[in-house]
Amino acid sequence: MNEGITPTLLILEASLPVQLVLLTLLGLSIVSWVMIFQRAMVLSAATKGVLSFEHRFWSGMDLSQLYKEGSQMQKEDIPVVGMENIFRAGFKEFMRLRQQPTMDKEAIMEGAQRAMRVAYSREEEKLEKHLPFLATVASVSVYIGLFGTVIGIMNSFIGLASQAQVTMQVIAPDIAEALIATAMGLFVAIPAVVVYNRYSANVDNITSSYVTFTDEFSSILHRQIHSD
Amino acid sequence: MKGAFNNVVIYNGYPLSLVVAVTFHSVILALLLYLQSTKGPEALELVQPTVVKVLLIQENPQVANERKRVERRQQQQRVREREVAQQAAEADQQRREQEQAEARAEEQRKARELASLRQRQEQERLDTERLVREREEQQDREDEQRRQRELAEAQRQQEIRDRERQQEAADAAAAELASSEFEMVQSGMSIIQQAVQSVWSRPPSARNGMRAILQIRMLPTGELVDAVITESSGDPAFDRSAENAVYSAAPFRELQALPTNVFNENFRSLSLIFQPEDLLN
Repeated sequence: MNEGITPTLLILEASLPVQLVLLTLLGLSIVSWVMIFQRAMVLSAATKGVLSFEHRFWSGMDLSQLYKEGSQMQKEDIPVVGMENIFRAGFKEFMRLRQQPTMDKEAIMEGAQRAMRVAYSREEEKLEKHLPFLATVASVSVYIGLFGTVIGIMNSFIGLASQAQVTMQVIAPDIAEALIATAMGLFVAIPAVVVYNRYSANVDNITSSYVTFTDEFSSILHRQIHSD
Repeated sequence: MKGAFNNVVIYNGYPLSLVVAVTFHSVILALLLYLQSTKGPEALELVQPTVVKVLLIQENPQVANERKRVERRQQQQRVREREVAQQAAEADQQRREQEQAEARAEEQRKARELASLRQRQEQERLDTERLVREREEQQDREDEQRRQRELAEAQRQQEIRDRERQQEAADAAAAELASSEFEMVQSGMSIIQQAVQSVWSRPPSARNGMRAILQIRMLPTGELVDAVITESSGDPAFDRSAENAVYSAAPFRELQALPTNVFNENFRSLSLIFQPEDLLN
């Protein structure tokens, strides 16, 4: 009776609401870890993309040559990501507008910058995808766990009400069963909080390097358009 | 190559992530189960009451009941084992007889063959025909026998299974009864313990590790019949204080709520250990 109280047994013999709560939390945990790994891959790829593209961009290569390389990559079905997308959008718009003889210089610059802004917000959207989900899991799963605990303790007290004499052996399993829900909630919430904070910082870093690049690139375009 | 990798990583990282996440959870679960299976019982053994102990001990028929139950189960187990062994022996015997019969049939067949060899010149064709027919008949007979043997075997297995299932059901019912009884006994014991403990005022001469055992007898109404010191602590004041505690705590009216058979089996007569462990000297 009082021997063999193990967490597994407690979970298997828990009341239905507590089991449902535990199941929900398990589901949330799995989904949030899927997001964590998937984001980790995306963000590391984006960081690498920033470094490699900046290297190529400042290597003194001709800009139209760089653009052609990107087109070649697209033809080979290699996805073009991050900073390169911003560069391609701006450069394409710039060239297209410059073909038209009636275009005013300022209008060309404005068009190029607008195209880059659009590409920038697309990229930012890609990076921030799923992060709100992680934030939600981080804040909500603790409450779900607490809910399970409260329900479990409530049930155990309802059971106690019918007994004349209460011993520790009668109370302990119910309370332990209820506490498992809180533990599970914390188990889900803690990684989600940590990862959410870390990934938000990462995304901030990457997007600020995008912004810097946009400014630098438009200054280069500006110089070019005013030189001829 | 690199393109394919990029494809997987950036636009379609979900399958990989899913696999990794599920693996991660399974590893954690397995780890928990492992830790639990290695450490569980040990942790439970450490639980000890540290304050005044007022416990029921050997005099308590509950222990005897438990022992009886175990013995009964063991005996049943033995009977069952013997039956199984017997059945196995029977099956063995049957098989041996079968083998002997087959050997005899073989000999006969050989003899017949010899005879046919002798007569082969005149009626070789006829003989071979008969031989073939006989062999077929023999085959048929053997098939029939085997089928019957298998049938009997299956039936026996079925019987064994049925008996095991009944046994299990009976065991489960007994365990259920025992657990509810166990709870009642626990609750009764804690009633007595708390009542006695709350009125026990220890003399100044009491020391940690002193130990007095009182045997008390009760009526089903919870009234105390008498209390006898079966093991003295060596300090008369201590013994007297224990005795006084029992008399002033009685009667234990809460015990009236217990079913009569539970009371008779467990509480009619029991021993209380008075052993202070919380004193500072």
